[in-house]
Amino acid sequence: MSPRPYVEVTDLKKVFDVSKPWLNRVIERSPKQILKAVDGVSFDIRKGETFALVGESGSGKSTVAKMVVGLLGVSGGEVTIDNISMTDPAQRAQRARLRRKMQMIFQDPYASLNPRWRVDRIIAEPIRAFNVVEGEANIVARVGELLTLVGLHPDDGRKFPHEFSGGQRQRVAIARALASNADFIVCDEPTSALDVSVQAQILNLMRDLQEKFGLTYLFISHNLAVVRHMATRIGVMYLGRLVEVSEAKQMFSHPRHPYTRMLLDAVPDLAMSGRARIPVAGEIPNPINPPSGCTFHPRCPLANERCRAENPLPINGVACHAVVEGRTLLMPVPA
Amino acid sequence: MSDPVISVRNLQVEFVTRRATLRAIDGVSFDIARGEVLGVVGESGAGKSVTGAAIIGLIEPPGRISGGEILLNGRRIDNLPPEEMRKIRGRKVAMIFQDPLTSLNPLFRVGEQLVETIRTHLPMNERQARDRAIDLLTEVGIPAPEKRIDGYPHEFSGGMRQRVVIALALCAEPDFIVADEPTTALDVSVQAQIISLIKKLGRERGMAVMLVTHDMGVIAETADRVAVMYAGRVAEIGPVRDVVQRPMHPYAKGLMGAIPTLEAATDRLVQIPGSMPRLSSIPRGCAFNPRCGEAFARCCVDQPAPLPVGGRHVACHLYETLEAVR
Repeated sequence: MSPRPYVEVTDLKKVFDVSKPWLNRVIERSPKQILKAVDGVSFDIRKGETFALVGESGSGKSTVAKMVVGLLGVSGGEVTIDNISMTDPAQRAQRARLRRKMQMIFQDPYASLNPRWRVDRIIAEPIRAFNVVEGEANIVARVGELLTLVGLHPDDGRKFPHEFSGGQRQRVAIARALASNADFIVCDEPTSALDVSVQAQILNLMRDLQEKFGLTYLFISHNLAVVRHMATRIGVMYLGRLVEVSEAKQMFSHPRHPYTRMLLDAVPDLAMSGRARIPVAGEIPNPINPPSGCTFHPRCPLANERCRAENPLPINGVACHAVVEGRTLLMPVPA
Repeated sequence: MSDPVISVRNLQVEFVTRRATLRAIDGVSFDIARGEVLGVVGESGAGKSVTGAAIIGLIEPPGRISGGEILLNGRRIDNLPPEEMRKIRGRKVAMIFQDPLTSLNPLFRVGEQLVETIRTHLPMNERQARDRAIDLLTEVGIPAPEKRIDGYPHEFSGGMRQRVVIALALCAEPDFIVADEPTTALDVSVQAQIISLIKKLGRERGMAVMLVTHDMGVIAETADRVAVMYAGRVAEIGPVRDVVQRPMHPYAKGLMGAIPTLEAATDRLVQIPGSMPRLSSIPRGCAFNPRCGEAFARCCVDQPAPLPVGGRHVACHLYETLEAVR
């Protein structure tokens, strides 16, 4: 029997109230406005794998990540990590133990490190907060160990964040994430602020650490090539919904949802293989007022009446009427 | 081949600071022909944007062009007085910036900004200029331009705003356009649309385009030729297919290997050790030598000059010795 997945996310929802102030609503007789940032997202992550969420800006990737680690309250649905519910108020005590097991790496290493703290203090903070090791000498030794682990020198601990380059700062952020012996790390666009050669260094480092410590990653990115390099399984988000979940290999060789295909076709082709592609049409709609039925239908070449009326539920990892009905064969073939 | 529209000869740009004079651009040369797109790639601090700004005459003090020349249609433009340059800028050379929100004035309607630019450069009345603005918006693919022309920038989405900025650059039918990271602020699906638009406009109007970006994929899609810059110098310049698929300069090789691709799933990406040097401490000889796996004694002493090798120019001593052996 396969063990229960490490992270289980079931029917996760988040709504934001973006209404005008009460007085304006009364005077202008405008109704309340609700933005559904995340709308019924379910997936699970197995221990030791990298699950990636991809999608364009405003698709709700980061909101999901924040809800998974508990930085943002949920409006509905459930998150379970290592058999402990993140959403059930009765499990507060168990959750406190779980907290040290998960960490986050953010996009901007300039904003995520305190500029007034020396790096050794930044890295030691989780060690002290969770009492990972006792005694000042041991803490210093542990910080040096962590710095070496991420490819910096133990003496670098005496420096301030501004003395490091972007890539080095991201290494510090990774060292801090590992400091509490975390085994689940949520990475929200960890390399999108970095240059390609530095990005390669950080991605390689993240993979090495995963192998060494058996880390589980939830990896958020808009860059499909980076995701292809890192992920075991991939979830594609569009306007707050998960439209496809597939094994990484399968996603790139046989994308199923029309949106996934469109995204793949939009990636600039470095190999210049001259592969046939469908030109991309339209832009992501305003999430305050999303289209009816399947939210992708205005941009979808396969949309029909049913797509405009009825929101498709995920079947076998794909939420698309056309895929279920076998209409994908009709997808226009590019010349 | 016809005469190049823009021709940069041994360009040097310096920034004078209290401590030292920093050389941001050191001996960059290239030509761009009519209808050609030259891609300029490199990491942050390589001097891509400064090169673009120098051509269009937008280097602000303490920066200055300290050497070399820039020719537009055979005429020198780098030493023109500011008043003269203002007439050329927008008329003959134009620029598309990275962030479409900051390059449009939020207080004016899109149409007003277009009409103002058109009338500054072309002898047209209000009516004619407005018709031309609508034509331009149609050309850059904005639906219902007669209505959208009276919208404010905030009413447009990111991709549509970038289209407006492109229309603004096209107002006076320039011969040369610098596009500085035009798709960096956009999502992939929109990026693909903007890339094909720039490519199409360049071809159809016979403009020379200098496309500055750090995204190799964008270059591979759009450019005819590509220049790889490192620490203010051109490491390799040549036809895009050759440079992207068979790079010769060790830095270009490393850069290409570092990019994850959709096609081949590799376990490890090629890693260039270290990072780009600061302008205040560019190493002697070849600027890349401390990070280069193939560096030898000469690399630490002599700065390599760009040499023609296999249909392109490569600034690397490795290929000099090869030539000598042959």
